[in-house]
Amino acid sequence: MDYIAAGLIEAFGFLLRGDGETYSAIFTTLKASTLSMAASLVIGIPLGFLLGYYSFPGKRQVRTVVDTLLAMPTVVVGLLVYAFISRRGPMGDFGLLFTIPGIALAQTILITPIVISLTATAIEGLDRRLRMTLIALGADARQIAITSLVEAKYAVLMAAVAAYGRAISEVGISMMVGGNIKWHTRTITTAIALETGKGEFAMGIALGIVLLLMAFLANSLLTVLKRRL
Amino acid sequence: MIYHISGLKFRYGDTFLLDIEELTIGKGASLGLVGPNGCGKSTLLKILAFLVKPDEGVIHFDGEKVDGNGSVLKRDVTILLQEPYLLKRSVFENVAYGLRARGEKRNLTKNVERALQIVGLPPGQFAARHWFELSGGEAQRVALAARLILNPKVLILDEPTASVDQESAALIKDAIEHARSEYGTSLVIASHDLLWLNTVAEDIERIYNGRMVGHETGNLISGPWHRASDGLWKKTLVGGEMISAVKPPHADTTAMLNPSDIMLSTDRPEGISAQNVLKGSITQLAVENDSGKVLITVNVAGLSLVSRVTEKAVRNLHLLPGGTVWVLFKASSLTWY
Repeated sequence: MDYIAAGLIEAFGFLLRGDGETYSAIFTTLKASTLSMAASLVIGIPLGFLLGYYSFPGKRQVRTVVDTLLAMPTVVVGLLVYAFISRRGPMGDFGLLFTIPGIALAQTILITPIVISLTATAIEGLDRRLRMTLIALGADARQIAITSLVEAKYAVLMAAVAAYGRAISEVGISMMVGGNIKWHTRTITTAIALETGKGEFAMGIALGIVLLLMAFLANSLLTVLKRRL
Repeated sequence: MIYHISGLKFRYGDTFLLDIEELTIGKGASLGLVGPNGCGKSTLLKILAFLVKPDEGVIHFDGEKVDGNGSVLKRDVTILLQEPYLLKRSVFENVAYGLRARGEKRNLTKNVERALQIVGLPPGQFAARHWFELSGGEAQRVALAARLILNPKVLILDEPTASVDQESAALIKDAIEHARSEYGTSLVIASHDLLWLNTVAEDIERIYNGRMVGHETGNLISGPWHRASDGLWKKTLVGGEMISAVKPPHADTTAMLNPSDIMLSTDRPEGISAQNVLKGSITQLAVENDSGKVLITVNVAGLSLVSRVTEKAVRNLHLLPGGTVWVLFKASSLTWY
């Protein structure tokens, strides 16, 4: 047990004295997850809204596919994106392999179904009286659609937080597409996996604490916004 | 006239929910609609508000024939649903929504404050409140303010007092009467609260099984009727009491009974010719607008019967809600609908 306590104490040392390697992994995680979350929100919210708001032939089948993609293993996404962005792949010329944008691209594929599915669920769950109320108040089709999305804002925000949580906590994509390159594409999760494998618990614990703090901050932000929205 | 409806039909599957030959509502009128649950009141109100399209029929609104779903006219008519929905934003934003949707942003604050004042909500106290910081009556009045601010040609209210306290019901009455007198807004109100409705509506139309059954306040007694040994036809009420009638056209025909044909007695009457003598308890007293008489609702084994009596009779017999009375009417007073 002593090595765990010692590792915990050393972990705070890493964080307090600004250990370069630790902070490099933190910033890489923040960059990749912020990029992927922004992209997934831009793509996922409109698609989720369309899926939840409108009725069209094949809607149930589309919904089943999206919901299935929620459980997509990170290594499968990593494998597919690797194949596409490697030198021999169709997107090889973009030079995305072993880069932060490459990780962000794969993470976007991973988390966009979460945003689509939860946004669609939020829209479908809106009170049935809302539409009639808006028509009664004279809103046109565009105003009804926008107001419906605004009414579902808290649930959409929940979708964003869930997606962010998935992006910062995944290992497979960062390992395969990022390559776990020190000072360059090493993220918090790949660093924890590597350092634990080497028996270096201190850095692993330090990064684990940061990861938990990030999740805590995201949820705290949600709580604050829930009160203000 | 603001509405003229003819040949209106609305089906749900194979069943007719509404089958209205003709209905006319005058400009600036205040029309009350009464009828039992599921009789088609709410559907009719939604059709009048152009929220639901009828399967058949012609609607003329303000002299123009309504084509399609009446989208052009939707902004002239607004409806307050039975359970109003407030947007998840402040009271101010809720009331301002309709004007913003129309792009009318001039004097917005002044207009919102005025609308809130009309429904008895001081703007300084309520404008900044969130939707979840309101009682049921306050929420209902905010929803009403959001409609009154639009100065609609027609304001439709579906059970506006169903879940509010007496104070809110009085404030709602004042607010809609203000809209009617100030802007000439026509009112169409469905309500089970006959007492309240009688103070607001100039005219009351009755709707039963999707059909308009006239202005007259009347009692509807549905079948089935069965032939008894005395030659009369009987309907058995819960508890075994029976209503006697002369031969109906069919066993399941609905009977109508004029409230003026019902007499009330506080003692069990003896030696009278009326075939129907039923014991019940008074549930409601309401003054009838045009006649000045009193409408007394009596619950007889779960069936509500309305009797029209003079104010003098109410005083002499000490008729009060909760009191026990005997309801008397002749078998021949029942007419068939």
